[in-house]
Amino acid sequence: MKNVLQWSPPEGLQGAELTYTVQYFIYGQKKWLNKSECRNISRTCCDLSVETSDYEHQYYAKVKAIWETNCSKWAETGRFYPFLETQIGPPEVALSTDEKSISIVLTAPEKWKRNPEESSISMQQIYSNLKYNVSVYNAKSNKTWSQCVTNRTLVLSWLEPDTLYCVRVESFVPGPPRLARPSEKRCVRTRKDQTSALK
Amino acid sequence: QEFQFGPCRVEGITLQELWDAFWAIKDIVQAKDNITSVRLLRKEILQNVSDAESCYLIHALLKFYLNTIFKNYHDKAADFRVRKSFSTLANNFVVLLSKLQPSQENKRFSGHDSARRRFLLFQRAFKQLDIEAAQTKALGEVDILLTWMEKFYHL
Repeated sequence: MKNVLQWSPPEGLQGAELTYTVQYFIYGQKKWLNKSECRNISRTCCDLSVETSDYEHQYYAKVKAIWETNCSKWAETGRFYPFLETQIGPPEVALSTDEKSISIVLTAPEKWKRNPEESSISMQQIYSNLKYNVSVYNAKSNKTWSQCVTNRTLVLSWLEPDTLYCVRVESFVPGPPRLARPSEKRCVRTRKDQTSALK
Repeated sequence: QEFQFGPCRVEGITLQELWDAFWAIKDIVQAKDNITSVRLLRKEILQNVSDAESCYLIHALLKFYLNTIFKNYHDKAADFRVRKSFSTLANNFVVLLSKLQPSQENKRFSGHDSARRRFLLFQRAFKQLDIEAAQTKALGEVDILLTWMEKFYHL
């Protein structure tokens, strides 16, 4: 739910000293509102996370460019609905292994926080239908398979001993097409087969 | 996969299909809605709806959408080149409405009064606008409706 407005500089004004001013609007309310930290700024982005933190509302944002004594028209976004359009971050992935299986424990990503002292809110609390796409790569056979799970724990069984497996997990919420960011690849090697070791 | 709106159970509707259909028309329809200072499905209409109220409310909303919005929007949907998605949405609403049967007839509208007040808030806001603008706005708010409906959907 970190919501950042981004834009590109207007064409044909290279070399001009440009600044920008941003406003935002809550759908169903009456006025455009200023974002004081994004008034006469030179960067081309503005963090509106605080202003759009009520994810059940819908929002618009607009930006205009100012140079010398001129200013451009407003450039306005479409209607933005954080609850439906936020990008879901990856879960935390913990792996443990033995000879022929790997245990995966997933922790749902947390909602963006205004400041670190704020209590954490798990995205699981916001999206009760949160699921995970787990993809597993067998480095020996060079094969990948994936499965969609709802639980936080998953055991991959019937694996090959002494083999490197790499796991990547993506959070997923059914419904409108939401962007998702997969987790970092985590690799672990299954243990050697103890029975062959005893021979 | 089924909806469970209090006493009313509906099977055979795939919510993902509704989302996909709406998402195909969302940007076009919402861009046509210039009255951004009015939201028909305001938060207080769909917030904290009890199970008992939910069947009456979804029944009233779907009936209104079909009779007042979808019925009169076919040509416009063709103009916007979104007729296929629009029809998918409308047909699913028709099926959903037809299947809204409570397990016991008298239970369907037990939350009637409070649910009716919620629906009337929506209908009153709709009637205060020019009919065509209101139809476009209501169609553009189907994402709000589906988000609420999703709470009653079980995979």
